[in-house]
Amino acid sequence: MPMKVGDEPFNNRVGEGIQNTFMRSAVSGAQDRLEKNRQLAVEELSNWEEWRSLGEEIRQHVLANLDYYLTQLSDQVAARGGHVFFAASAEDARAYIANVAKEKQAKKIVKSKSMVTEEIDLNHYLEKHVGCSVVETDLGEYILQLDDDLPSHIVAPALHRKKEQVQESFQRHHQYEGSERPEELTKHARKMLRDDYLTADIGITGCNFAVAETGSVCIVTNEGNADLSTALPKTQITVMGMERLVPTFEELEVLVNMLTRSAVGQKLPSYVTVLSGPRQEGDVDGPEEFHLVIVDNGRSEILGSEFQSILQCIRCGACANICPVYRHVGGHSYGSIYSGPIGAVLSPLLGGYDEYKELPFASTLCGACTDVCPVKIPLHELLHKHRQTIVEKEGRAPISERFLMSIFGMGSSSSGMYKFGSKVASSALKPLTKGDHISKGVGPLKNWTDIREFPAPKKERFRDWFDNRQKGDH
Amino acid sequence: MKGTIQNRESFIRQLSSRLQRSAAPKHVERPQWGYTPQHKTLQNLSQDELLAVLQKQCTRINTNCIVTSSADLATTMEKVITDNGGGPIMAWQDERFDAYGLTSLFTQTLPEKQIELHTWDPAVGRENIALVEKANIGITISDITLAESGTAVLFSNPNHGRTVSFLPTKSIILIPKSSIVPRMTQAAMQIRERLQNGETLASCINFISGPSNSADIEMILVVGVHGPMYMTYIIIDDL
Amino acid sequence: MKISLFATCIVDMFQTNVGKATVELLEHLGCEVIFPNGQICCGQPAYNSGYVKDAKEAMKNMITAFDDAEYVVCPSGSCAYMFREYEKVFADDRQWAARAKRLAEKTYELTQFIVDVLGITDVGASFNGKVTYHMSCHMTRLLGVKSAPLTLLENVKGLTYTELPNKTTCCGFGGTFSVKMTPISEQMVDEKVQHIIETGAKYIVGADEGCLMNIRGRAERLGAHVQVLHIAEILNSRNAEVHV
Repeated sequence: MPMKVGDEPFNNRVGEGIQNTFMRSAVSGAQDRLEKNRQLAVEELSNWEEWRSLGEEIRQHVLANLDYYLTQLSDQVAARGGHVFFAASAEDARAYIANVAKEKQAKKIVKSKSMVTEEIDLNHYLEKHVGCSVVETDLGEYILQLDDDLPSHIVAPALHRKKEQVQESFQRHHQYEGSERPEELTKHARKMLRDDYLTADIGITGCNFAVAETGSVCIVTNEGNADLSTALPKTQITVMGMERLVPTFEELEVLVNMLTRSAVGQKLPSYVTVLSGPRQEGDVDGPEEFHLVIVDNGRSEILGSEFQSILQCIRCGACANICPVYRHVGGHSYGSIYSGPIGAVLSPLLGGYDEYKELPFASTLCGACTDVCPVKIPLHELLHKHRQTIVEKEGRAPISERFLMSIFGMGSSSSGMYKFGSKVASSALKPLTKGDHISKGVGPLKNWTDIREFPAPKKERFRDWFDNRQKGDH
Repeated sequence: MKGTIQNRESFIRQLSSRLQRSAAPKHVERPQWGYTPQHKTLQNLSQDELLAVLQKQCTRINTNCIVTSSADLATTMEKVITDNGGGPIMAWQDERFDAYGLTSLFTQTLPEKQIELHTWDPAVGRENIALVEKANIGITISDITLAESGTAVLFSNPNHGRTVSFLPTKSIILIPKSSIVPRMTQAAMQIRERLQNGETLASCINFISGPSNSADIEMILVVGVHGPMYMTYIIIDDL
Repeated sequence: MKISLFATCIVDMFQTNVGKATVELLEHLGCEVIFPNGQICCGQPAYNSGYVKDAKEAMKNMITAFDDAEYVVCPSGSCAYMFREYEKVFADDRQWAARAKRLAEKTYELTQFIVDVLGITDVGASFNGKVTYHMSCHMTRLLGVKSAPLTLLENVKGLTYTELPNKTTCCGFGGTFSVKMTPISEQMVDEKVQHIIETGAKYIVGADEGCLMNIRGRAERLGAHVQVLHIAEILNSRNAEVHV
């Protein structure tokens, strides 16, 4: 599974995440700041709930008419002289892009940040099958690529890296002699990448949104790397997840605004670039050839299912920025390039339950993600749907848990069973009880008391007290 | 030139089938959206009020914002160029520079001061890239300007190289006060209107809000990553 | 006004004092309190774990138990929300849909009931001490009760309120999450306890016994000098100090 990150089982990944104190303080610091910025940015609008309703409506309309809008988009791109390739699978997408690269005899490809190309593991494929170098130009991705590391956050991919680690990478790979100051590290990357832009044969980008009416692709950055990646090389290849489009410029505007406010609290980022086909006749810069690769890779199976709303996602990462679980375990614990609540919903759908069955359970269903989602994806409800599917349709729950739950079902639906059970609970748990606490539980109680005290059941239950009081005993 | 489309039929058929129909609809009417908050934002502001919004936003996006009268533009421009360290400069080829009275600055004053200025010239092709790559300053003009986000909107064409606003270390964007609109909403509508009136769509439309920046290393903001490190908007009071 | 108390299984078995305080408080406010004896558990532990079929049995029992109630009041935002959720769970069940909907519509969390239905913002309580308040997830975000508990606390004589940092962040309980994902839950509740300690408050108050049991259990294990109370205990306090 290309979107898979590492081979460690879930519990080990979580354990490593929790032990990683730098990563954790980086994540909690980033969360606090990004969430505060997001709140300020949406409060400035004063009617954010209306924006969310509009965002949701636009996304739902597009999904309900995805076949129509993708047809329109591809017609428009072709009318502008672009080439559109519909890729049903990751393999199809990779093979097509590799073919273009071979045809162009590409030695060097510059690439701007794109989650879908991570998902289809494009870089390794091109390096192996075309033999060209692929240079990530987003600063965070550039840093990760040097050590073949993977993104831990949708928007801030190198969030888990310390500046000293970045310095060390630059030293090792580039004989960098500067300090660990971010300004100096950035300047170094700027110098290195300048040359890459000027000498690259192909520029590959992701796509924040495509515009069906005009056959345009919109890419959003603060660094300007997507602009240089597309303005200088002779060939541009844009890879988009098939659901990432809007009808017209008017909806593009709404969603770009919501994306950047939700992601980092910006009204707009430094660069919102709308590219329509290859360069026009007479243009000096911009690509001579433009390819748009539209990727399904499992998405169409989600369309029309009870999980369809996850396709509304505009990849802002606001859900990760508020998630209390993400806060403590970090992005890599999710075992997928898609982390946080969106990852916990999407990864099992794209990558299967074999790899990702734990993710939907790694949530308290606190609903914070649902609350901040700019396009109103009911994330916590989708996590719950996953749980139900895993337990009831897939039958993947541990036998011990199934047994416990069926006891629960009986105990909580039959008054007699409950009355008996709850009445004897106090004496049954007596051997474990000290004062009014249980400190060392057994069975399902053990995990609880590993870290917390558990209250001993009261001899007189509330209902007994109430009964007696009615009878005038109190 | 007409492009190509591959693998569409089976791909779209799969989507239609997931959406429980035999084929994609021939036409879909864009709905009247239930909410339109974008039109209410910064509604009913005068051009002066919009300018104030723009100026305030510039302070938040590391952008130097200077307002000047048409009469003073050449002097202001010269000062900004000097303050930014002079040449070499690459400017778009645009008749508006002449209309704004900048011709003598560009063709006489600057050369006299040994400040090298080049104008984007499609006739010399890739040579432009070599020049713009070495330029200290790039000069462009905003067609539509968004007050809310402090955004200049640049449209590419043969005379308007995309890289003029990206490759030089510093960027100067001329902003006619008349081009200021409340927000991206009005820009999107204008662009659609132009298309409906038969104008061709620029192959590249850049919405630029301040200099290039990144916070990818420990969330510490660094200004100037791949694009310009310094940004100046010169607002011309053309009203 | 006649109200049927949905005490919750945690209160029935472990936190009986919360049930008692709830009854006394509601009676003090002029309500007649009934305890429908058929009630057991709302089914949330099974439901949230994905065992919807098993949970439905528990839910049907609750629907039956509260069929005749005029108002259902519950001292737990999460369990009250579960009743609201029944409407969705049984939406396609011809036999139960209407009854589930009726139950959902007449169910209130305790503070929500006092403020929104009774229209009371000052229950006449007095309590001396510095208090901070944890906003439980389901009550705040799913049930949408945000201001009622704070309004009521504001009007308690003698009480000093201090805001909890990240007050709406989950405490790490999450029902079965607390035992299935204990290492993650531990980190979450540790941060919560840390924030509570930072406030310098003597009392941490909440309106959901699940969350409170988690916070209390961890605070006790860590030896934190803070007392965990349910809001009903504060609102039912007419003396200087609460006795638990």
